[in-house]
Amino acid sequence: MGIPTVTIASSEFVALARETMLSLGVVDAPFVVVPHPMGMISKAEITKKAEDAFSEIIKMATGWTPTGSLPPTKPAYPAERFKESGSIAEVNKLFFSKGWSLGLPIVPPTPELVTEMLRGTSLAADHVIGHVPPRMGILTVELAAVHAVMAGCKPQYMPVLIGALQAMLDNRANWRGAATTTGTASLLVIINGPIVKEIGIASAQGAAGKMHQANASIGYALSLIALTVGGSKPPSPDKSTLGTPAQFVPWIFGENEDALPLGWEPFHVKRGFKKEDNVVTVMGIYPPVENIDHWSVTPEEHLTWWGHLATPLVSIGGPCWETQMEQVHIVGIGPEHAELVAGAGWSEEQYRRAFWEKARLPFSVWPKGCPNVDIVAKKLGITLKPETMIPITYRPENIETVIAGGAGKHSHYFAPFPECFPVSVKVQK
Amino acid sequence: MKLKDFLKTVGVLLIGLGFLTLTGRSFADGITPGSQQATEDLQELINPEGVVHVEPLKLNPHPSTLENKTIMLRWNGKHNGDQFLNRIGELLTEKFEGVRIIKSWQVAPDTVVAVSGSQERSMELMKKLAAFKPDIVIGSQAD
Repeated sequence: MGIPTVTIASSEFVALARETMLSLGVVDAPFVVVPHPMGMISKAEITKKAEDAFSEIIKMATGWTPTGSLPPTKPAYPAERFKESGSIAEVNKLFFSKGWSLGLPIVPPTPELVTEMLRGTSLAADHVIGHVPPRMGILTVELAAVHAVMAGCKPQYMPVLIGALQAMLDNRANWRGAATTTGTASLLVIINGPIVKEIGIASAQGAAGKMHQANASIGYALSLIALTVGGSKPPSPDKSTLGTPAQFVPWIFGENEDALPLGWEPFHVKRGFKKEDNVVTVMGIYPPVENIDHWSVTPEEHLTWWGHLATPLVSIGGPCWETQMEQVHIVGIGPEHAELVAGAGWSEEQYRRAFWEKARLPFSVWPKGCPNVDIVAKKLGITLKPETMIPITYRPENIETVIAGGAGKHSHYFAPFPECFPVSVKVQK
Repeated sequence: MKLKDFLKTVGVLLIGLGFLTLTGRSFADGITPGSQQATEDLQELINPEGVVHVEPLKLNPHPSTLENKTIMLRWNGKHNGDQFLNRIGELLTEKFEGVRIIKSWQVAPDTVVAVSGSQERSMELMKKLAAFKPDIVIGSQAD
């Protein structure tokens, strides 16, 4: 657009800023580094930081010229081969030292194992699935197979893995944001269709937990790709304050379509697919909130309880960032909770509307100084007073549901990471 | 050393050399015991990292002075970013004659976004700000 810029970044984040710019082709940029933190300090302190940075800002604004150049490129396919001696343990040590593994064991990716893995997909090995942020590494089908080998996948898992990657790399998924945030972000991966049973994706008791090779190895491959091809490594560019075990294996399960209440449609059908389609849906999320309701005997009681649980969204200042009010929230309804609601004659649409109506907090709870509250009020058609109840999203249609897990009185609410929308992809075998 | 002992020693040495010959090892080759085993374990592996291809972006030239310039201060919504930029705006006005300050959160509040989901989204936001025709944008990420 022909307009020069100066970027002010705190000392803890300037490395991320530089890495982000490099991934977009900017070798050098005018930064002014301010001692961290800038947020959560007094007005007097932030004013002093501004005064201290002022001369550097002027220098960057008027005297800066770029230096440096991009490194030379290599072909994306075939992926580089190298020779290595040593035991499996020594190969694992090598891979970890190079930042090619998460710190858990991997299967060394030999060309023979990768060739075998590629039999699981009809896509050509040199087909480019996408560019994995934040590093923007080029991900070919061959490279996906390399990581599938490392993660212990079977060849028949490749179509679901590739489908999940295609969804993850769609712009609407905002994987760059989730991979570099200070927040505790991870992936939610939901699989629907006949392929769930065909390849043994767990969808009932403990579906998102241990002892399910398909779920675990596909999830592990996704995490390895995010780390190695995408470069999302702590402490930068992965800035997650605490991190999460879900960065090793994300939340990944099949919908329990056998437990769907009568008249309720599968998750992927609600998203526009046919029942017989095999579909993977991916969304960046915060850690889920669990509803452990053992006592409600009516849907009204149950949804009232949800209302108190689902409003942790305020902990991420959701309403303070107005665009989050447009986002989709996913509720993984446990089959017993679904039966309680459907058994009373409720439709899935009634569930969603009740959830939206109940999951609210009074305006008085919002942090002071929230920007754009007037835009939120205008779009909701309300007048903001301390007691005004604000929903977590603008419309009940933004609440989506999936039947998740097996026996037990538990459901889970998955709040979206900012600007992460669910992306569904039809699986190609 | 007695002849008997000498012959015994030579015999042991000859047996040892014969053994090494049968196993294909040779001190002349400079291969130490154990490295032959390492050579047999050599395997081909694939580098999982992948490559990056980006086109270099050329950045816009900067003005030599800020006098009489329109300066946009861009805030991403993180706490205190506006306070920081407010002070910068005051200092710019004091120091440079004819400077005009535009605050993004006042003229385009819908661009106050902490996380931009994609480059396309970023471009959307930037076009809204560019419409105010600033000569330079100073952006604070705060956090």
